Amino acid sequence: MKFDDVLCPFCGCLCDDITVTAEGGRVTGVDNTCLLGTSKFLGDNRLKNPIMRTDDGWKDVTYDEAIASTLDALLEADRPLLYGWSGTHGEAQCIGVHMAELLGAVIDNTSSVCHGPSILAIQEVGHPGCTLGQVKNRADVIIYWGCNPTEAHPRHMSRYTTYADGYFLDNAFRDRTVIVVDVRRTETAELADVFVEIKPGGDYAVLSALRAMVRGRDEMIPDSIAGVSKEQLRHIVEICKNAKFCAVFFGVGLTMTRGKYKNVRNAIELVDELSRHTKATITPMRGHFNVYGSNEVNTWMSGYPYAIDFCRGIAFYNPGETTAVDILARKECDAALIVASDPAAHLPSKCIRHLANIPVVQIDPYPNMTTAFCNLQIPVAVSGIDAEGTAYRMDGVPIRLRKVLETEYPTDTMLLGRIYEAMMEVRGR
Amino acid sequence: MRFILNTGRTIVQGCHVEDKYSETYAGEVSTCRMNLLDMLELGVEEGEYVSVTCGSGSVVLKVVAAGEAIPCGSVFVPYGPYINHIMPEDTHSTGMPDFKSVVVVITPTTEPRKTLQDLIEDLGGRMYEIR
Ligand code: SF4
Repeated sequence: MKFDDVLCPFCGCLCDDITVTAEGGRVTGVDNTCLLGTSKFLGDNRLKNPIMRTDDGWKDVTYDEAIASTLDALLEADRPLLYGWSGTHGEAQCIGVHMAELLGAVIDNTSSVCHGPSILAIQEVGHPGCTLGQVKNRADVIIYWGCNPTEAHPRHMSRYTTYADGYFLDNAFRDRTVIVVDVRRTETAELADVFVEIKPGGDYAVLSALRAMVRGRDEMIPDSIAGVSKEQLRHIVEICKNAKFCAVFFGVGLTMTRGKYKNVRNAIELVDELSRHTKATITPMRGHFNVYGSNEVNTWMSGYPYAIDFCRGIAFYNPGETTAVDILARKECDAALIVASDPAAHLPSKCIRHLANIPVVQIDPYPNMTTAFCNLQIPVAVSGIDAEGTAYRMDGVPIRLRKVLETEYPTDTMLLGRIYEAMMEVRGR
Repeated sequence: MRFILNTGRTIVQGCHVEDKYSETYAGEVSTCRMNLLDMLELGVEEGEYVSVTCGSGSVVLKVVAAGEAIPCGSVFVPYGPYINHIMPEDTHSTGMPDFKSVVVVITPTTEPRKTLQDLIEDLGGRMYEIR
């Protein structure tokens, strides 16, 4: 059977023009996906049933047994951590927040080690953003700063920027100027009209210099800033000020280096300066296909986007204290529920060592690094392949994930729903 | 020698995020990409091993020549369990550790690169054999 206009559940581009062929309970072909999307749709190494760690290996358990032991682990804990949430749909994320409130737990999502600092910056100075449709149809200058879409969001340039013809741009490749700013010459940099190579850690200084120059304070700027010549900075300022519409995209190159949210704040304030001369916008290149959704769901349910601590009975938010890395490194949580992410592959080792010492339940379709550190893993349907639901694209547009396979696996919503209902019963709610 | 380490995504790493027990994934995330001049100065060739050390420990990675793409003085390692083995957990009160622009010391080594299983067991985990 053939399905058109399917969403790709991999990266924040959330491409919605995928054609999927499915036969005999498997995806047999995909069209329009990039390599990342293709491997996700065709991937075929799911966990078959729930598995539980024993003294000398692993044993298979039923879903009922798995749910009972998840309840034991989470209800007995004093300070459970519910982490992950980026690779599932909004409806399941919603149950996660309810569960955190009931348990008095901390709920955090992967944005704390991704674009969490961008959200902190937005909380300080706001977000002059727009949809990707606006960029595609109007932006004649594109800046990619500290990101490498060629490898992380492979269709971003062909769907929305460099190669995407728009309503006001007949020949995108000729009419758009693409500037790439990075610490290394990535493949994206090779495709740029202008490549600006910054010394590592120099983003803040270069952003500040650009802001000063946009304000006409050229005379303050030395001949070179973090390896970038004043001449090149002047050239960029000219391109941006003369643009009809300048769209800035930035990646974790800004959020993961020293300065973190202050780097992003400076980038937003540069966009603010540019907006006095032309139309300028800024958008974070969100990684997981629904990490943005997790921030949205958390915000409309609790008032905060991530790192929410319910131990006081009300929502408390203090990144740096209530974020997963800090809680794990301080060995503070005494149980963890990991949903739709793989912290053992992406967090520092001190955090993983703590995971190895506490009861951990993982809800994820695939065996991953965290499998090796959990006591129980419960496989579920894959959102966007055999489960439907809502996901938010990197520009904050919610789109409905489609289902292309029938499945016997429960969806995240079904499984978390069952666990939550059983918890309410135990707690007499 | 001291270097600035940046970690990040690569297409091969991305294609194997749902297949992390594959040889390809482990091979990709245990590489260290360097400028040719730095390789000359360190005295290592493509395919040889280096020990990368920072505050929280050391890890052995395989050298990949990155031509001019990586400037002298910097190295690039794809995200994953190998490099995160040594990443510092301090978040400077932001929730985000330093995954980029981290100062590391790199020396050539004849020590073998750890297998994924060894890495997991070092951290107190237990490998799950996929059936
Ligand atoms: S760019 Fe992202 S959403 Fe689009 S096909 Fe590739 S992985 Fe999927």
